[in-house]
Amino acid sequence: MQVVVCIKQILDPEMPRSAFKIDSEKKRVVPPQGIPPVISPFDENALEAALRIKDEHKAKVIALSMGNRLSRPLLTKALAAGADELILLEDTVFEYLDSFASASVLAAAIRKIGVADIVFTGRQAADWDSGITGCAIAEELGLPCVTIARKVEVNRGQMRIERVIADGFEIVQAPLPCVITVDSDLGGLRHVTLQDLSSARKKPLQVWKAGDLNMSPPPPRCELLDLYVPKRETVCEVINGKTPEEAAARLADRLREEGFL
Amino acid sequence: MILELKDYVGDMKRCARCSLCKWPPLAQMKSWRFSNNCPSIARYNFHSYSGGGRMALGLALAEGRLDEITDELLNIVYRCTACGACDSSCKYNAELEVLWPIYSTRAHLVGMGYLLPEHSMIIESLRKEDNTMMQPKADRGKWAEGLDVKDLSKGEKAEVVYHAGCLYCYDPELSAIARDTVTLLKEAGVDVGIRGSQETCCGSIAFQLGFQGEFIKFAESNIDDWNAAGVTEVITSCACGFGIMKSVYPLLGKEMKFKVLHITQYLDELIKQGKLKLSRSLSMRVTYHDPCNLGRKSETYVPWKGEEKKVLGQFILREPEKIVHRGWNGIYEPPRNIIRSVPGIHLVEMERIMEYSWCCGAGSGVKQTMNDLALWTASERIEEAKSVGSEAIITACPWCERNFKDAITEAGDNLMVYDIVELVRQAL
Repeated sequence: MQVVVCIKQILDPEMPRSAFKIDSEKKRVVPPQGIPPVISPFDENALEAALRIKDEHKAKVIALSMGNRLSRPLLTKALAAGADELILLEDTVFEYLDSFASASVLAAAIRKIGVADIVFTGRQAADWDSGITGCAIAEELGLPCVTIARKVEVNRGQMRIERVIADGFEIVQAPLPCVITVDSDLGGLRHVTLQDLSSARKKPLQVWKAGDLNMSPPPPRCELLDLYVPKRETVCEVINGKTPEEAAARLADRLREEGFL
Repeated sequence: MILELKDYVGDMKRCARCSLCKWPPLAQMKSWRFSNNCPSIARYNFHSYSGGGRMALGLALAEGRLDEITDELLNIVYRCTACGACDSSCKYNAELEVLWPIYSTRAHLVGMGYLLPEHSMIIESLRKEDNTMMQPKADRGKWAEGLDVKDLSKGEKAEVVYHAGCLYCYDPELSAIARDTVTLLKEAGVDVGIRGSQETCCGSIAFQLGFQGEFIKFAESNIDDWNAAGVTEVITSCACGFGIMKSVYPLLGKEMKFKVLHITQYLDELIKQGKLKLSRSLSMRVTYHDPCNLGRKSETYVPWKGEEKKVLGQFILREPEKIVHRGWNGIYEPPRNIIRSVPGIHLVEMERIMEYSWCCGAGSGVKQTMNDLALWTASERIEEAKSVGSEAIITACPWCERNFKDAITEAGDNLMVYDIVELVRQAL
């Protein structure tokens, strides 16, 4: 059994507010100095899901990441955690792709890998929170897709998936191969030790460029019109009255006037 | 953000590769044997390991001239205790920033995702457990168990909060010093409290390794907590904590309603006021090691922004005038005053002291991640201490003490190591 996990390198969503800067002309977030990028937290959950399958079924786990100037020390964490191989899709044309183009490149890489019984992704990346890529990979590969999984098991050649819904979870059965997007309810990535990180350096790491996939990313389907940090303005107005009842009535009128009631 | 490599491009470009950063100023040099000031260049003897070499490397990085960040480059960048000796030596003649470009180079690399696995572990521990020791957060207050002291995290009020710091909290051998410190303060009538298991790291190692995002979180949270506790003074006996609170915390722009003091400043005052009477004679010849973060690195840093004008095609004039931190205003006298107050003790000075002091080797995460460099650096200082006939080396920082003790154990030496608080307790 072979499992592919897509992991995305993103800016740390927990960076201090003061460090978050936007270049509004280029419509991009400015990478801050002194704050390392991280693996998108939901993708870490996806990696954990893959490793649990490996623990039970001795599957081979391949981690796949796409972008430009990817951080080796960061992404080798996947190998340290237990993945058997890391493939970096690294090219200048892979930078700033929208979800559909990303899915197209990742699907091309999965086709090149050959066998992928299960493809795991996070339910959404913690930078743009679109939640499209996993489903779009399934579409590209023509595979069934189950989203927002909180528990995954392989049982008699079928996937049994607990899927998060608004008021609990539902159990879904899917054939192999399939694509599964994973939720944080599945649990965090297992602890990685210093020894794990050191031994990860000996595991195979491949770098594939656009040419290796015999493709160039398709044009974006989404256009980013504007990118800005919303301004928060606070205006304080004191509503007075001769009696508390009068003040309350005036307050209610004022709130209705503003459309809050 | 505090650390931006581009802010130091001017300084890095003006580095003339004169190599004066590698030694104490000539006028301060007393012998060939102890004429180095930078552990990194002294050990590895290749220019990139020096302050000037690090400036060249930082400039190449800032200008995007490095196609590849190799493991060897990261090794060079982090085989440095960020002791700031290069900075003080350079500023003897010039006004270039050397230490802050070193910090900023690290922050730049961290932002690009180039991390050493060992550092990732420290930062992970900070994130999860609020300490750099990879120990459970819940155990942080254990050092104070059974000690009759107010716990501010439980709503009790005190005038002064004692911040023990990660190493004192978790090192079983050293935590007795933290207990002694609180006992001393209470005996002198100080209204002191601690934050027990709610105390968190000062963020010093995160800052020095270039993880400034993590540093900002811890620094802001500490400032908020101390402001909310209503204390007028924060006392720490960790020089690393003191240095960062004094030199970098003010740059965050948050109001600090308290004064930051190192325990040596506080004890010096208590002795002068007669609240602590050192009466027991300790017949011993000792020397004092200046911790970098208590000495040259404890001046509040003021980043300069303005216009540089070249005069006569040669001199640079800055408008507004730049405040240059030469390490002159560190805490040098209070610890020496305390030692001199101990009856019978004979304080002898080593060759490299105060702003030109040799580092103990433990700073900037080197002790945790590159212990070979840390121990070698400490062994050099131990040799220097022995060369002046000292029986004991006194310091005022747990990291220095830990590293000296480890180096002495490894070498099978017999030099004694004391924290200044241990000395005071013995002399009471």
